[in-house]
Amino acid sequence: MIPFAAEVSFRSRRHGPLHLWIPLPVLWILVLPLAVLALPLFLIGCLLLDVRPFPVVAMLWNILTSLNDTEFSVDKPKGSFSMHLY
Amino acid sequence: MNEDRRRILDLLAQGRITADEAERLIAAIEKGPASASPSQGPETPTKAKPKYLRVLVEQLDGAAADSPSLVNIRVPMQLLRAGVKLASLIPAQARVHVNGALRENGVPFDLSQIKPENLEEIIDQLDDLTVDVDQKNEKMKVKVFCE
Repeated sequence: MIPFAAEVSFRSRRHGPLHLWIPLPVLWILVLPLAVLALPLFLIGCLLLDVRPFPVVAMLWNILTSLNDTEFSVDKPKGSFSMHLY
Repeated sequence: MNEDRRRILDLLAQGRITADEAERLIAAIEKGPASASPSQGPETPTKAKPKYLRVLVEQLDGAAADSPSLVNIRVPMQLLRAGVKLASLIPAQARVHVNGALRENGVPFDLSQIKPENLEEIIDQLDDLTVDVDQKNEKMKVKVFCE
């Protein structure tokens, strides 16, 4: 399953903690028309590079679905950043 | 056992698999019962398949107290597997360039050799890898492990 939400947190000395909960379906809906528009360019690119387009699409989809439950956080004295996809 | 081996040899004879693949399959068959037999005992703990690759950067004791630094990355194994499979889709001409650049930088490595089986071997060996990093002012410990 593709990730449906991203939790992003910032904290810095100047600004207080900022906690964002981003619903990713909104992002996917925005990206979808762009992906459709980019499809001919993608197919031309695949033809030029002699790459089969379907395995590439399948692989990209595989990566997208694998992103679920990815976590990343950095803590520094100046501030911190963390992101969790789920 | 012999049946499996014969099947692999048939596939090799038909040219459907390479000699390397046949060797790997035969090794896996030989390894299978050997690794399975100890787990047949009721008290032997079975190792769970790791789901995540974890990278932690921690401050070692003795580092400056006002400079705590911590990196915590948790990547699903599935993502790594997908990445490895993606490497196989790199166009031949691009692969030549990447291999050349790697060689120039002292990494004689062929990208086409990366296979999902290699990743599994690395995961098997990556029980708990710890790297100590000494910087000018900071002493850090980088831990890479699967969980």
